[in-house]
Amino acid sequence: MRNYETFSTTADSGIRFQGRGFGELYGNALRGLNLLLFGRNPRRRAGCESVPFRYCGDGPENVLVNLLAAALALAFQEGKVVTAVDLERAEPTRLEARLLLAPSRSVPRVEVKSTTYHGLHVVEKNGNLRAAIVFDV
Amino acid sequence: MNPAERRFEEIAPGRWRLGKEADRSMQSDAEVFASRAILQGALDDAAIEQVINVACLHGLVGASLAMPDIHQGYGFCIGGVAAFPADGGIVLPGGVGYDINCGVRLLASSIPATEFVVARERVGHAVLQRIPTGLTSRSACRLNKKEFQRVLSGGAGEIVRNFAGDAGDLEFIESGGCLPFDRPGVVSPKACERGSSQLGSLGSGNHFIEVQEVEEIYDPDAARLFGLQAGRVAVMIHTGSRGFGHQVASDYIETFRKRNLARLKLRDPQLVHAAIASAEGRNYLQALNAASNFAWANRQLLQEEVVTILEEVLGMGRGKLGLRLVYDQAHNIAKFERHEVDGRPLDLLVHRKGATRAFAAGHLEVPAAYRAAGQPVILPGSMGTRSYVLRGTGAGAALTFSSSAHGAGRCLSRHQAVKFAGHTDVRERLEKSGIVVCSLSSQGLKEEIPEAYKDVDDVVDVTVGSGISAKVARLRPLLVIKG
Repeated sequence: MRNYETFSTTADSGIRFQGRGFGELYGNALRGLNLLLFGRNPRRRAGCESVPFRYCGDGPENVLVNLLAAALALAFQEGKVVTAVDLERAEPTRLEARLLLAPSRSVPRVEVKSTTYHGLHVVEKNGNLRAAIVFDV
Repeated sequence: MNPAERRFEEIAPGRWRLGKEADRSMQSDAEVFASRAILQGALDDAAIEQVINVACLHGLVGASLAMPDIHQGYGFCIGGVAAFPADGGIVLPGGVGYDINCGVRLLASSIPATEFVVARERVGHAVLQRIPTGLTSRSACRLNKKEFQRVLSGGAGEIVRNFAGDAGDLEFIESGGCLPFDRPGVVSPKACERGSSQLGSLGSGNHFIEVQEVEEIYDPDAARLFGLQAGRVAVMIHTGSRGFGHQVASDYIETFRKRNLARLKLRDPQLVHAAIASAEGRNYLQALNAASNFAWANRQLLQEEVVTILEEVLGMGRGKLGLRLVYDQAHNIAKFERHEVDGRPLDLLVHRKGATRAFAAGHLEVPAAYRAAGQPVILPGSMGTRSYVLRGTGAGAALTFSSSAHGAGRCLSRHQAVKFAGHTDVRERLEKSGIVVCSLSSQGLKEEIPEAYKDVDDVVDVTVGSGISAKVARLRPLLVIKG
């Protein structure tokens, strides 16, 4: 398995991702979302805008869904793409980070409307944390 | 495949049952209305696993049901129906889906198809110019906060009263196009923000506007009541509550998780739920009504724009065009309904996700003009195939809580569909079949190629063969506008 990749279900689309710790897991989730939306991951640019993301939830699944929902709102409502994440605190139930943004240079390839919890369980395998998220498209 | 899934038995033509003894977590039976091929497809794409997961929920009345257009969703399968007691039961946002009250409306007309064909490209271009379609489409309709709240409370009626349309339409919309909503506080500012710029837009994906010809009438009496005449034009509009409904669903799934997830033993966290009587359950049901009203208002606005375009392009008024609303029905909704269970009337909250209500003749919620025939059931095919108008039946009332299929149902993922389409020019291909297609997205057209859907004739055969609906008319596409 790659660090992040996309997949399709009959009606929807999703991403699979992994990381050696929660910080990498959360970061790769965002990279997977970019791959689904834009077909690639934009490079981090110097001097780009950043916004804080702080979420405390009931588990990594909850943190992931809310992180990706925030990234989707940025993409679809503000036309911005998350180019990188500067982690401040990444734990199973908490993420504090700054999302580095850039104006999106292309229209998303697919309209991702919502992030679901369908079948979402963060599991540990071979020293990596893994998860898959299905989006409503 | 879960071994339990292999034990489906065909207990009647097109009706497959998996007894609850097949899996120790199942609280109820699972029943799928399908041909052998449709059932196999559902087994292959994990939709059956989702039907079984719903059968594991406590308090389900009857079986966990799936209609013949079954395919994999999230939490619930698409085509899923589940009923819980109104008194003491539960409500599941996952049993409704994110696009709350995604639905379809059908207009009949007296426009001869032969006359429309000459003007259809102009109609298509005008629709694309004037109705926002596609990714992140935003409407020109700007409402202030008060006006937006009135739409959430008034639904289609608010549009008819203050913008455009005919008050007579309301009788032909499920629930009159409005469910009770009087607590604005249950809807988040974020939902209102997402929704306020999208009222009057079509969206993307499988949303569409089609102009069709009534090609064949199977039930002349019902067709006459519904206003459908062979050789005449009909208009079908498929869209929902846009970002507003999505945000309502997301908000309440989060709320339900926080309050209830830890104590629920769920096979799929998307099936998180709450007691109907709980504060969060009642709030969700209010917010669901607001999103349903938004969707009905949205389809009403789109109808009025399409009617205006037809008037302008064809150079005739609405009266001369004979345009009238046949019916507007919801696909993703949970509603309180009374059904007979084991010979007794029982008040239920019926969840339909990618399924259609289909009340039989005589039901008081069927418009008076249609009561002798039953509720119209609009079943769109893919953009390259026929669509059908069916009607609700007594067998449907007995077997599926008066539910029916909502479309052909996907059988290929979007990725598979694009791969299948390859370098094909979808527009050109459909034009060769006599269908003009207008869309801003070539990629979107490939994702929606006819092969991405089950054969609509098979779905209709099972729906009719199992008795849950009866055929009224078949429609063929002349002009397709895809989101």
